[in-house]
Amino acid sequence: MNTAADILFGGLFQGSLYAMMAVGLALVWTTIGVFNFSHGVFMMLGAYLAWQGIAWGFPAYVAFPLAVALMAGVGWLLQATVVRPLIGRANLVLVVVITTLAAGSLIENGALVVWGPRSKQVPPLLEGNITLGGIGVSLHQIAIIVITPIILAALWFFLNRTRLGLALRAVAQNEDASRLVGLNVTMLYALAFGIAAALAALAGIFLGGYRFMTPVMGADPLLKALIVVVFGGISSISGPIFAAYVIGFFEAICSYYFGLYWTPALLFAALILTLMVKPEGLFTRSGGRLA
Amino acid sequence: MSAANLADTQTSRPAASAVPVGPGRVPWQREAIGIVVGFALLALLPLIFTDSYSRHVLIMVFIYAIVASNWDLSLGYGGIFNFGHIALFGIGVYAYSLLTKLAGLDPWVAMAASGAVAVVAAVAITIPILRLKGIYIILVTFGFAQLVMQIILSQSDYTGGTQGIVRIPSLYIFDHNMVRDGKFAYFYIALALLAASTVFLRAFVRSRTGIGIVALRDNEEYAVSRGISLVRQRLITLAASAFFTGVAGAFYAAYQRNASVEVFSMSLGTIILSMVLLGGTSTIYGAIIASFVLTVFSEAMADFGAWRPIITAVLILVVMLAYPGGIVGMLKSAMAVFSRRTSARKS
Repeated sequence: MNTAADILFGGLFQGSLYAMMAVGLALVWTTIGVFNFSHGVFMMLGAYLAWQGIAWGFPAYVAFPLAVALMAGVGWLLQATVVRPLIGRANLVLVVVITTLAAGSLIENGALVVWGPRSKQVPPLLEGNITLGGIGVSLHQIAIIVITPIILAALWFFLNRTRLGLALRAVAQNEDASRLVGLNVTMLYALAFGIAAALAALAGIFLGGYRFMTPVMGADPLLKALIVVVFGGISSISGPIFAAYVIGFFEAICSYYFGLYWTPALLFAALILTLMVKPEGLFTRSGGRLA
Repeated sequence: MSAANLADTQTSRPAASAVPVGPGRVPWQREAIGIVVGFALLALLPLIFTDSYSRHVLIMVFIYAIVASNWDLSLGYGGIFNFGHIALFGIGVYAYSLLTKLAGLDPWVAMAASGAVAVVAAVAITIPILRLKGIYIILVTFGFAQLVMQIILSQSDYTGGTQGIVRIPSLYIFDHNMVRDGKFAYFYIALALLAASTVFLRAFVRSRTGIGIVALRDNEEYAVSRGISLVRQRLITLAASAFFTGVAGAFYAAYQRNASVEVFSMSLGTIILSMVLLGGTSTIYGAIIASFVLTVFSEAMADFGAWRPIITAVLILVVMLAYPGGIVGMLKSAMAVFSRRTSARKS
């Protein structure tokens, strides 16, 4: 009973975190067609902004949304400076990898200068622990498990049921045609990046609530987000979300049976195998589309 | 007749020789002279920079230059986004360390063997990416690099895990004391490796195979329809880019005398990748020049602490945004302006 509860809870928790980390990356990829390698750094900066808000005496319910909103601005700024000017270059994907990596390094070391190397922590979303199914879990983790699907559902609603969201998906499918029917492609790019950065900030706050934060905390989540997106297929938003939960459970099961040490290696082996067999990702139907 | 005119007449005429001559292609004799003169000048550098610290910096430049220029072969010429390239370097480091320390192999033999191990690893990366394109290749090769690092970390009985490996046997030349010669021997070995690697790379990209991989990059369907095998060329490209990368890793291990998983880190990967892109892809020389510029620049700012990576990042961003062709593109456009001015004066 405890084993099942452990795996179920661990899978749900990790899956929620991964979904939160990956969905912004997938959003940028599907709309702009580039991989934002500063996504992990966005998580770090979001967590640090939240921490700063708390340190200035704001209550968490003010500081957290404020950090998320600020990060949307940072995402827009990054898009406008190091991504937008490159659109149309022959080797766009590659150049954006290097510019976002460089921008990430800039932000990371900037955070090091501003906040110093000492590890910090933001308060959890909810204080306290409870016992569920024979295992002790913190309310912070429960909150993450509950909040993540709500955010993802809201994103799904936005992309599928609102005019703006549909416009975003139209750009993802065919940029030239979108421009022809009068969509403001530049604005939509900025919007995609802004939303992605805001989602990254939220993931960062989730992380900072149960783990110590350092300026380099974004590297590992970025890697995980990349794996999730590849697993799920990079032509859709829903694919990576499913994949996040699959990977969450995969890790929970692996670390239970094979130990924590082998889990990452097994995960990467599974990733490479997936790509050899089904390069378009596990959850992609032919002619993949967004959401 | 100027070089530009010569190249023009050669391109306008259908190529009769075995290797077609492309636009802007310098005759090989001229390039060979350039390489000889360039490396002779590099060999004289210790006369100008006489302290052992600057020789150390130059040794690091040469190591980075080997790794970056070999990466340019797969990334620039091949158009294969191999993000596992840095792992090939790391594999060289660990292959040398394990072969000399555990297997007790002779350091020089181990260094050559490390190159061979890197080639085998490159073939292993290539197999899963044969069917893939663009961004998928980035992700699989990135995954491969992480996989290798995880395996090294988990096999701590042999690799020392996070502790790394220390006291790795160094290279030797008869009874010459490599440690107390002010890094002279290592300087010339590194320079010789860079020279060998550069000659190999330039000869490779000028060969028919090299032209074939560029054709595949620029128009895959057409190249395949003309009988170029995608599978074979990809294997050859990655294997060719791996050998000197692995040897450079081995040399690095022998020189530093310790090994850690730092060599797989994203920060090292970013630096080397920015050398390739900053220099300008598909040139080989660009990567070498950029290794020199970035390393020296970074050493010059050693006192800036956390500001150093910030300034480096800004430099990379500015060059990437302003000069898509990198440093070589910058030099080319400067030369174009210069030659336009001189020809205007003549007329």
